[in-house]
Amino acid sequence: MRRIVIALLATAGGLVALLGYRTSWGATADVAALAAAGEPGGPASATAPPSSTGTSTGTGAGSGGQRTTSTPTPGSSSGTGSSSGSGSAASGSSTSSTSSASGLRDGTYTGSAASTRYGDVQVVLTVSDGRIAGVEVPVSPDGSPRDRQISQTAIPRLVSATLSAQSASVDFVSGATYTSRGYEQSLQSALDQAKG
Amino acid sequence: MTAVRSGAERAERGRLVRTHPVMGTVASAHVVGPPGSASPSGAGGGPLAVERAIAACFAELDELDRVFSPFRDDSAVSRIRRGELALEDADARVVEVAERCLEAAEATRGRFSAAWRGGFDPTGYVKGWAVERAARRHLAPLLAPDGVAAVALGAGGDVQALTAPGAHWTWRIGIADPRDRSRVLAVVELADGAVATSGTAERGAHVVDPATGRPAAGGLASATVVADGLATADAWATAALVAGFADLFWIAEAPVRSGLLVHDSGAIRRWGGGVEVVSMGERDDPLAAVA
Repeated sequence: MRRIVIALLATAGGLVALLGYRTSWGATADVAALAAAGEPGGPASATAPPSSTGTSTGTGAGSGGQRTTSTPTPGSSSGTGSSSGSGSAASGSSTSSTSSASGLRDGTYTGSAASTRYGDVQVVLTVSDGRIAGVEVPVSPDGSPRDRQISQTAIPRLVSATLSAQSASVDFVSGATYTSRGYEQSLQSALDQAKG
Repeated sequence: MTAVRSGAERAERGRLVRTHPVMGTVASAHVVGPPGSASPSGAGGGPLAVERAIAACFAELDELDRVFSPFRDDSAVSRIRRGELALEDADARVVEVAERCLEAAEATRGRFSAAWRGGFDPTGYVKGWAVERAARRHLAPLLAPDGVAAVALGAGGDVQALTAPGAHWTWRIGIADPRDRSRVLAVVELADGAVATSGTAERGAHVVDPATGRPAAGGLASATVVADGLATADAWATAALVAGFADLFWIAEAPVRSGLLVHDSGAIRRWGGGVEVVSMGERDDPLAAVA
């Protein structure tokens, strides 16, 4: 993760995200999509001028279902995957500015859409306490009917490690079954009382 | 991306919440009114209609528990297990569940089974099925254009959510961190759908691999599945736990929308629409955890 932070510093918000898509016929294609940050949507509104561009490609061949690894480097990445996949990333603009020791200002940053063979992919970066808390792909490919189906599915979005259920403003909590006694101590019980 | 509704906008709606102990856990019913409403019933019906529907919903859960609980000597399931009642002579709901269990066993290639505890035991299927059934039969009829905007019924960590057509409402379902259940790892937003999580957090390793008869050993702390209905989501969450962290091949064919696996180590895998979504994050970097 440290390397990513360095990469971000080096490119003023440039971010490499490796997306692995497993398709219905079992083949796997990895798309390395680079999206640089823009449009801060988080608690901090950053104002540095846009400045980052980058490209990425993902190519490879192999057996289906293998998880791949990559070594992100500033401004570019290569992902080796199971079927060939290539992503030509759109240039992105970054608006992050330094505010903490790591140089990352807290907030949520939405990257510009990157064009891939699976459609446009957009990446959201969340910075919390000056560190990268998560990388999300809220906009899924929207090209073929199959991809449209992906977009309509509610992919679980990771939340910051420090976020409580209340601040995440959830209505229910899904977890392994609790007993009626366990309910009393559960997040669900707190939510039921807070919202009822 | 989906706009995250502000807490203020979500709070500006009447909401009625009722809870009810049943099936060894607690069920929670939430009924949400239209924007700006003071009561969950909005313009249509009345608060009494909402209360009645929730009461009927809970009564149905109680009734289904009486029929299906293997912990009650007089339940249909217990009588079948003792050989006092033939399955084909049982209540139509029992026959339906038995058929659904067989279908789920076939669809999951045996990873979900209603027979692992010796004899007929659909316990692992009934809760999700019962909650979905009760929600659709008793809460869904409340939904109206100017009235109740959304309803949801949860029980023991599984949720069935429903929203009126055209209503601007999105349910937000948190996925609990199996290692610290005071936290949520992820949020699923949906209008209609179900979220089920199977895990070992509260009741120990209670999910058994039908193939071995032993507790599932796939390294998973929990498996969450999102599907149209809770019966399906619940069965596939159980199957996912048996399949383990390393195996996501099944998502391509499963009738589910999306989901999330949490490894004992805290590593996470997610998918949607039959494809895995790999992300890199501070605490869940799957590349670092699995490589």
